[in-house]
Amino acid sequence: MLEVQEVSKNFGALAALAGVSLAVREGEVFSVIGPNGAGKSTLFNVISGLHVPSAGRIILRGEEVTGLAPEVINRRGLAKTFQITNIFPGISVYDNVRVAAQSRASVSGRLPSLWRRPDVEGPVMELLGAFGLAARRDDLAQSLSHGEQRYLEICLALATDPALLLLDEPTAGMTPGETKDATALIRQIAQSRRLTVLLIEHDMSVVMGISDRIAVLHFGEKIAEGPPEAIRSDPRVLEAYLGGADE
Amino acid sequence: MSKVLSWRGWLVFAALAALPLTPWMSKYYMLLAFDALLFGAVAMSLDLLMGYTGLVSFGHAAFFGIGAYATAVLLERGVLSLWLCLGFAALAVGAYALAVSYFATARRGIYFALLTLIFAEVIYTFFRYTQTFGGSDGIQGLPSFEVAPGWAVDAPARLYYLVVTYLLLAYLACRVIVRSHFGRVLVAIRENEDRARFLGYNVQRYKMAVCLISAVLTGLAGALYPGRSAYATPDLLHWSVSGEFLIMVMIGGLGTLVGPIIGGAFFIVLQEKVSSYVQWYNIVVGLVLVLIVLFVPRGLVGLRDALRGRSGREAAG
Repeated sequence: MLEVQEVSKNFGALAALAGVSLAVREGEVFSVIGPNGAGKSTLFNVISGLHVPSAGRIILRGEEVTGLAPEVINRRGLAKTFQITNIFPGISVYDNVRVAAQSRASVSGRLPSLWRRPDVEGPVMELLGAFGLAARRDDLAQSLSHGEQRYLEICLALATDPALLLLDEPTAGMTPGETKDATALIRQIAQSRRLTVLLIEHDMSVVMGISDRIAVLHFGEKIAEGPPEAIRSDPRVLEAYLGGADE
Repeated sequence: MSKVLSWRGWLVFAALAALPLTPWMSKYYMLLAFDALLFGAVAMSLDLLMGYTGLVSFGHAAFFGIGAYATAVLLERGVLSLWLCLGFAALAVGAYALAVSYFATARRGIYFALLTLIFAEVIYTFFRYTQTFGGSDGIQGLPSFEVAPGWAVDAPARLYYLVVTYLLLAYLACRVIVRSHFGRVLVAIRENEDRARFLGYNVQRYKMAVCLISAVLTGLAGALYPGRSAYATPDLLHWSVSGEFLIMVMIGGLGTLVGPIIGGAFFIVLQEKVSSYVQWYNIVVGLVLVLIVLFVPRGLVGLRDALRGRSGREAAG
């Protein structure tokens, strides 16, 4: 599904990523963890097209996408949520998801889109229902609670009908209770839609419960990769986390 | 699917069409109404950019002025057909708008405003100092349009009906656009440009497209202007005219289409009425605008909605 091959990214003298390789298989939940500043978000930004990597290649569904623009990569089947909530604040919840869903309408990007209004009511309401937002469809997105905004953001990504979903700390800022619910919901939706999920997480408890495999980043390098049980007991991982005084 | 224009909207246009039949519509008022509705239409076109897409253009006077010069050049050479004038204006303005929008939309925020301003100043300087187009005098003493051979748009009432027709068609076009797939993407770009990109939208293409639409609509209004003034002068392209267009949108209400039409008409009538009494009319006009911005920040349409007790901005129709 996704192959990251020896990807490096430098910001001036800072090497945010140094030769990171990953292979995400179809249908799995793959997590990337690591202390703050380990390069997790940079990795996501490189994969999703926001940054061009300094070196290395990115292969999405068998095609190279290295250095393509975010809108192009999105149309190749990759959708992303952001660490800091990134929605359309001044329009309604429904309009948020509608504009995402209609980007896959056949009319999108063509001249008739100037007068046509593709009907996406079905898929939009289905998504809002799955995330418990149906009752708030007419409220402005900015009036939602933090947790609801995080869900809305996932709705936006899912509305573009991706094959691969990148979630950047989806539970950031949630209470422990909300985090638990959110984790279960993500797992369930990924299964029902046969999604491949690449997840960045800070919170070890979330990652351990949801992931098929985990990679650990530390100072821009991958120091470990494997199933949750192996990661939990890996001495390098423990050292990175304890040394970073993060958990 | 709701209708493009409500019964109330049709009623307003019917009232506008009936206006010349009322006894107090002198020639003077007919021409004032022409200006009011013409600049209302321009402000509405600018609203597609400002209110819906969140792009502030400081160069709309260039679109208006190029439209006016396109007509003037043809009328001067005896090409009187309204349709040829409009077609030529649309082509000229469209070509210019494509070039401007390509460069202006490559940058964000203040750079868009600055680039539209700089391009417009170049066009102003070009017409101001090119003798082929009359230099600072512009092109004067133009004949009237002909809708069909021998059917000239010369009387004030005919000009008035011409502008009402244009306003109606332009308004219907804008309404359809803002409610379409395309229009919703524009609002998404206004709200969060980066998110729109990550949903698969080529934001620059959408911005260029809406610039082109807004520019051509403004240019067509500009093309009608010499039909009433019988001239096209470089003053029409001056940056202060672009500033007035922005003010019309602001006082009418961003992102509402109807608001800027009202704002444009209000501005023209206010300016005309105050200037007929005092030399320093700009001070009075400015004062009124400051009061509106301070006390009715959502514009004249916002005032109406505040009285009715509902939120103003039409988010996405």
